[in-house]
Amino acid sequence: MTLFHFGNCFALAYFPYFITYKCSGLSEYNAFWRCVQAGATYLFVQLCKMLFLATFFPTWEGGAGVYDFVGEFMKATVDLADLLGLHLVMSRNAGKGEYKIMVAAMGWATAELVMSRYILFLYLSLFTFISFDWKYIQMSFDSNISLVHYIAMAAVVWMFTRYDLPKSFRLPVTVLLGLCVYKAFLMELFVHVFLLGSWTALLVKAVLTGSISLCSLFLFVTLVHSN
Amino acid sequence: MFEEASEVFDNMFKSSFPLTFIVFIPAVLILVSPLPTEAAHEFTVYRMQQYDLQGQPYGTRNAILNTEARTVEAEVLSRRCVIMRLVDFSYERYQKALRQSAGAVVIILPKNMSTMPQDIVQQFMELEPEMLATETIVPVYFALEDDELLSIYTQTLTTSSSQGSSSAAEVLIHTATANGFQMVTSGAQSKAVSDWAITSLEGRLAGTGGEDLPTIVLVAHYDSFGVAPWLSYGADSNGSGVSMLLELARLFSRLYTYKRTHAGYNLLFFVSGGGKFNYQGTKRWLEDNLDHTDSSLLQDNVAFVLCLDTLGNGDSLHLHVSKPPKEGTTQYALLKELETVASSQYPEVKFSMVHKKINLADDTLAWEHERFGIRRLPAFTLSHLNSHREAQRSSIMDVRSVSPSSRHGVGEPYVDLRKLSRNTKLIAESLARVIYNLTEKGAPGDLQIFTEQMQVQEEQLSSVVDWLTAQPRAAQLVDKDSSVVSTLEYHLGHYLKDVRRHYVKADKRDPEFVFYDQLKQTMNAYRVKPAIFDLLLAVCIAAYLGVIYLAIQHFGVLYSVVRRITAPKTKQH
Repeated sequence: MTLFHFGNCFALAYFPYFITYKCSGLSEYNAFWRCVQAGATYLFVQLCKMLFLATFFPTWEGGAGVYDFVGEFMKATVDLADLLGLHLVMSRNAGKGEYKIMVAAMGWATAELVMSRYILFLYLSLFTFISFDWKYIQMSFDSNISLVHYIAMAAVVWMFTRYDLPKSFRLPVTVLLGLCVYKAFLMELFVHVFLLGSWTALLVKAVLTGSISLCSLFLFVTLVHSN
Repeated sequence: MFEEASEVFDNMFKSSFPLTFIVFIPAVLILVSPLPTEAAHEFTVYRMQQYDLQGQPYGTRNAILNTEARTVEAEVLSRRCVIMRLVDFSYERYQKALRQSAGAVVIILPKNMSTMPQDIVQQFMELEPEMLATETIVPVYFALEDDELLSIYTQTLTTSSSQGSSSAAEVLIHTATANGFQMVTSGAQSKAVSDWAITSLEGRLAGTGGEDLPTIVLVAHYDSFGVAPWLSYGADSNGSGVSMLLELARLFSRLYTYKRTHAGYNLLFFVSGGGKFNYQGTKRWLEDNLDHTDSSLLQDNVAFVLCLDTLGNGDSLHLHVSKPPKEGTTQYALLKELETVASSQYPEVKFSMVHKKINLADDTLAWEHERFGIRRLPAFTLSHLNSHREAQRSSIMDVRSVSPSSRHGVGEPYVDLRKLSRNTKLIAESLARVIYNLTEKGAPGDLQIFTEQMQVQEEQLSSVVDWLTAQPRAAQLVDKDSSVVSTLEYHLGHYLKDVRRHYVKADKRDPEFVFYDQLKQTMNAYRVKPAIFDLLLAVCIAAYLGVIYLAIQHFGVLYSVVRRITAPKTKQH
């Protein structure tokens, strides 16, 4: 991809993070270092997950077109470690709930952005000549969606670990938690079953994430303002 | 924010080593890991000929290209790769591309030649030598068409023909949706191949009845020629000649095994290489046999040399001579026997003698017999073609498989097995009549020798032609380890004695022929978007980001809305 296209994709991916950081008031709390710590925790958790997957899940050697539902489900279960990581980050930060959530989510999502997209794009634009493909724009959109997703996930984890969570909330919070973890798996399932095109899949992902985050926002507001 | 950032990085580098390790190792790993290059489409392309013959360069001189694709209709062609399909190919378009200093030319050929109408095939055949005669710096490639390539072509056609035509809105939409293609070859620049050995094969059947018997030499060159070496299969020229030679070897070796039919003539068979490059194989073989050895069959007593060239089709047979044979010689006897057999057994065949003097001022010799004629050996060439300048002798259209419909005209090259076997029988009968002196002994003109067990086997001819045309046999591609040579050697060994190889290498200081490599390449067609597209995309992204910014700024509004929705429940306390 040309350098200009790299600039486009990078702006598309990174700008919402930058705006979120600025507008959520995190900069007033000198939260940069804490965000970096959260990012480091992300890396550590990813490393552990990869080691775990490599050790306990041998490569699937079945037929080419068969989608291994059970295997992929198992692999998605390993993503529970993400939740543990987020909880770890949030417990180490003292402060209001919103502050904890935002710090954890920002750090996590930025680390994911850098690791999975930024370095890839940079490499592609500088060292190789690749034909134009819409999927790079789609990846940038996807990272925007991931930001919202991680904020929602952090909020749900925070709510789950609250001691003053009303009994009636337990179930919806657990359901949302499950949805967050298995979102990737659900997306793959949709794409596989309905044979969605890439833009349609992106739309479905956006809608799914939007609904999850809206639900968690409702629950959060209710929880915070019921006291 | 940037002061904070620099603080953080300072701390990171100074203190916690494990942290830096964890952060940077994955980054390094991802950077260093080899990512496969994605290409829009990868396909094989075959380059036009590149060779020097007697110091004169022919064909294209260049092999690498890395340019954007266009079709001929585009206005600006310079430094672009011009793609053409065979159906739209014409010499004017080709010249236009070259005149506007195009970067490269790629000609797309259909996978199955027989789907092409005959006039296009004919026209292309005529153009091949012209394309080779002009020395081009521009690399010219041929590709076989498949669906992806066709779609690339149609997309490039729409881009090229719409340049400078329509309204601004249409151009805008067009740039957003169109795909440009960058054509890149993966190989290196072409360079001369050093020490290339052209292989020829010889074998003999010794006659009976004393020393110093007269020798008859039968020659056919096995290599093929076309505008692209990897696409020249040479079915009629000269796959037919080689298969006929093998069949004659088989028939006469059978005759020679029985004492009663063992004749008093030595038969020398020669399958020569480098025939299309001015008969290099024959030339060196003659030099070696006449100048450098003390005794050879060629020196003592040569009755005549018969060269077989393009005999797989047609209803005429021409005996090309450089000097009309004098009465009373064996050559004259052969001429007469050919006439007799043709008129009495095959009336549909029009036999004639064509006299053409050897012109040493020409760049290349006409027929193979002229090599022998220069060395004062009596020789002729038999061919169904009237002139050596016929385009079908050196065309890539000369392939084995053709459509079953019989719409082929006179000029189209292909091998008709019935006619090939008929010609083989004709020649075999005439040779037998000369060798056994049958006319003097009073045998009638329609006496057939090669019947029943001695029949000409059409399946044999067919399988040899099929095998020969299964691979390209350009002289640049057949080296001494090639399977073509070794299989020919093996087959000759079945029938003949003393089968030997003969090598020709170009002279170091003044080479008669120079071949170049990089004749087959892999080309990649990468999709690229024009620069305006990037700008357009930037504008769209800026708009999107603006919307996001406003949304995040006013997130509080959403928050209060949600709060108001959930609040009525709590207000009831």
